[in-house]
Amino acid sequence: MFTNHLKIAWRSILKDKMFTSIKIGGFAIGIMACLLITLFILDELSYDKHYKDADNIYRIGRQGVLNGEDFGGIHMPAPFAATLKAQIPEVEKSGRILVSELHGSGGKEIRPSGSIQNNYEQGFAYIDPEMLEILDFTMLSGDIKNALSTPNSIVITKKKAAKYFPDEEAVGKTLIFDDNTEKPYYIGGVIDDLPKNSHFQFEFLITLKDKEFFYGDQTSWTNHNYHTYVLFRPNTNMNEIEAKLLDIKKTFYVPAFKNRSAEYMEVMSTIKFGMQNIQDIHLRNEVFEDGLNHGDIRFIWLFGAIAGFILLLACINFINLSTAKSANRAKEVGLRKTVGAFRKNLIMQFLIESVLFSIISFVVGIILAWVLLPYFNEIASKDLLLPWGKTWFLPTLLFSSLLIGVIAGLYPSFYLSTFKPIDVLKGSLSIGSKSGRLRSTLVVFQFTTSVVLIIGTLIIGEQMDYIQNKKLGYDKEQVVTIEGTNTLDSKLETFKRELNALTEVNAVTASSYLPITGTTRNNNYFRIENGNAKNEGAGGQIWRVDHEYIKTLGITIKEGRNFAIGKASDSTDAIIINEAMVKQLGLKNPIGKKISNGHSYTIIGVVGDFHFSTLKDKIEPLSLVIGQENKMIALRVDTANMDALLNDVTTIWNKFSPNQTIRYSFLDQKFAKMHEDVKRMGAIFNSFSLFAILVACLGLFALSAFMIEQRNKEISIRMVLGASFQNIYQLLSFDFLKLILISISIAVPIGWYVMNRWLEDFEYSIDIGWEVFAYSGILAIVVAILTISYQSIGAAFINPLKSLRAE
Amino acid sequence: MIQIENLKKSFKTEEVETLALNNVNLKVEEGEFVAIMGPSGCGKSTLLNIIGMLDNPNEGYYHFDGQEVGGLKENQRTKIRKGNLGFVFQSFNLIDELTVFENVELPLIYLNMKKSEREQKVRAVLERMKIAHREKHFPQQLSGGQQQRVAIARAVVTNAKLILADEPTGNLDSKNGIEVMNLLTELNQEGTTIVMVTHSDRDSHYAHRVINLFDGQIVTESQNKPFEIGV
Repeated sequence: MFTNHLKIAWRSILKDKMFTSIKIGGFAIGIMACLLITLFILDELSYDKHYKDADNIYRIGRQGVLNGEDFGGIHMPAPFAATLKAQIPEVEKSGRILVSELHGSGGKEIRPSGSIQNNYEQGFAYIDPEMLEILDFTMLSGDIKNALSTPNSIVITKKKAAKYFPDEEAVGKTLIFDDNTEKPYYIGGVIDDLPKNSHFQFEFLITLKDKEFFYGDQTSWTNHNYHTYVLFRPNTNMNEIEAKLLDIKKTFYVPAFKNRSAEYMEVMSTIKFGMQNIQDIHLRNEVFEDGLNHGDIRFIWLFGAIAGFILLLACINFINLSTAKSANRAKEVGLRKTVGAFRKNLIMQFLIESVLFSIISFVVGIILAWVLLPYFNEIASKDLLLPWGKTWFLPTLLFSSLLIGVIAGLYPSFYLSTFKPIDVLKGSLSIGSKSGRLRSTLVVFQFTTSVVLIIGTLIIGEQMDYIQNKKLGYDKEQVVTIEGTNTLDSKLETFKRELNALTEVNAVTASSYLPITGTTRNNNYFRIENGNAKNEGAGGQIWRVDHEYIKTLGITIKEGRNFAIGKASDSTDAIIINEAMVKQLGLKNPIGKKISNGHSYTIIGVVGDFHFSTLKDKIEPLSLVIGQENKMIALRVDTANMDALLNDVTTIWNKFSPNQTIRYSFLDQKFAKMHEDVKRMGAIFNSFSLFAILVACLGLFALSAFMIEQRNKEISIRMVLGASFQNIYQLLSFDFLKLILISISIAVPIGWYVMNRWLEDFEYSIDIGWEVFAYSGILAIVVAILTISYQSIGAAFINPLKSLRAE
Repeated sequence: MIQIENLKKSFKTEEVETLALNNVNLKVEEGEFVAIMGPSGCGKSTLLNIIGMLDNPNEGYYHFDGQEVGGLKENQRTKIRKGNLGFVFQSFNLIDELTVFENVELPLIYLNMKKSEREQKVRAVLERMKIAHREKHFPQQLSGGQQQRVAIARAVVTNAKLILADEPTGNLDSKNGIEVMNLLTELNQEGTTIVMVTHSDRDSHYAHRVINLFDGQIVTESQNKPFEIGV
């Protein structure tokens, strides 16, 4: 009986090619989308799960309230880690990592001792020797306990060891950083490359042993620079730890600020230390600002939901088409029952058929996923693979295909097997029409989902445009940045002059600070000197720049003046602040006022607010002072021939720094990169919305074909009675249009709500206008009309005699 | 074999109730060949469907082989139908997706017969119906007469005691029609009981007994004298 079922299932698959391809095609697209999204989600969820003691590893952070707003950070005072270990017995190990570029983390020019060619490398960080054990690094060479135990020792990854010391033992060799031959670093160990699914992405780990970045740095409780990690003993009660952290705050932290103002101490009182399990860092980092590139658990949910919806839409197609085409099966059902089939035989037969459909669709879907995976990886910026090697993969696929086949086939099976032979044989069964209401509901569901997705796609696109084109407060176009200029040292000024001499270059500035994330940042606290005691002051950036900075970046001066080269006092006591700081400090006439962060400055100018972080963040107070921090040079250029200019710049660079390859980039590209995560999520969202709409349209296409087929007789009679082509077309299209209009009216409020929630995440965002909904609605209608027109027009041209005679 | 008493069957639409069969009494002995005649809408097919246990009567008794079957549920009716009853329809009603062989094999599958036994039985009946050479063809590839022979093969492959034929020659030309009637007669002579609905006077000649229905009632019943009944 089973083979008979399979045989007839196979033949009915082959018989109606259009319906079969739509059923299988829709299903396969759904499965492909699900598979890709599942791979993406699994990868996101796998972050930092690989540590042996992952459950017991925590990162410590600070939370508090400043000027009525929550703030949270993971930068902790230097002695904090050691204090935790000393004061809390549950702490097995504690350690720190310093990633601040200010202190030399990030990127460096490096070379092995004995070689002269510098290479730029990124991924430098300073860490405590204990961190190697806390994070359970695999040592390929060297000893985990001693690798970082001597000052100036360093641990590098396998990849970098192979790059600089091919076919040699790296341990024991030395590296030169930024041309500083007086202070070589000794390689104490080689670790395995860090997995990509970790928040911890470094290549060069320099020891913090006996390191002091400035006087008193290692004992200061008032400077916050270190990320602190803790390995708790197994079965530690975290509630007790919170209380103990509070004790540490009271005993060690607060007293360090005893000379600060009452206002400052009020902010202090709001601060508490919090813990974050290492496995939560990647996806659940709402509280602690850490400057890392995070995933977002909300996107995981969103994508998961979209995957589920696409699969659901595909299942709906299957159900709709199966029940719609039931007329073709009714005779078979009737006959089978006549010759002795029980209902259960028939249910089994139809289930086998739908499982067969499902398995074929899975095969096609997996092939589709395999073909599309490279593109998806590019969009999602991942290296996902179909995990054929994993033992769970094939059984899961097989089980899913069976399960989905049964789920999609359940309703059609029970529906089809109810046909009574007597009705079928008498021809009195108005087959397919009985389940018309269900089908309409399902079509409405499909189109509601599609319209919500269209609304989402449009709004994400609009927000992306807004980000790309928002007036940023500076001019990001035609700015070339050259990195690694700190190695030029005393030659920097001459280098700048030579660049300035190029006719296409309008201005040159040297500064480590640029309005692009990933460049140097800091945090200071300013108060008005002799000001109102009630003012809380302002936390803000202090950027060390040169005289050309404002001109090069096209920042506008709203009040006062720029730094003047001739004025010596400008280089020591002058400060230019942004409007956000003016507001925060509550200054009425800022020019000439004195503010202090410990050093007293006179405000000589106010610049318009400009974005120096992503648009998810508000523009914070910021100040500019003259100073020497010159990891980067930025050029304001005016040229149509960028290649020629870059050639000239490279020639000049090679003259100054023959042993270091020039590294340049463009400010606008860096800006775009800053918002890559949003763009990436947008692109993923768009592609899958498209798939969902495609699946829904496929369903509508087939369904309209069926409904028209059913109304052939009615159409013929109407035509005989004088209906025009237009009459028939309207008649057939209107029914579907009604469903689409219902879908739109359900989808609009849902789309509005969901997308408003999404936009809340941005400090600067578009307002959702009615146009978005109008466009979405029109788009849905147009797509639906195009889909059904193919069928309607065909029907309106039929020869009425043909179908009447068949009756 | 068949004993029907005071049988009533009506069909309801929203407003009208149509009485299709009214107080029908009928007895068919084993080995008989009975033809049911009458004008369109007189209830012939309704009666045949009830005899074939495809439908239930509203009132009255229907004993098949001594068992009351009139009030049975669908599954129970299927159980009795299986292997006992064979159907032949005017429009052949073969399953388009199955080959000739598979169509004939179908009732045996539902009897859970072993594959080798099924093959043997199907081959034998196809030989007998002179259609064996087309066993791999699909119904649409056959002529009407051939399709009806396949349908008869399907009806008798289980050694059914009773064959119910609903205008078996209605869609055939006279030559093929005669062939089909000869086949049915042959089966009857071998002991199969046959109840046939027909419009054709010629076909009714083949029956032992002709029953005339009019407006849901049996109006006349005659032994081998079909031409004398004029309605």
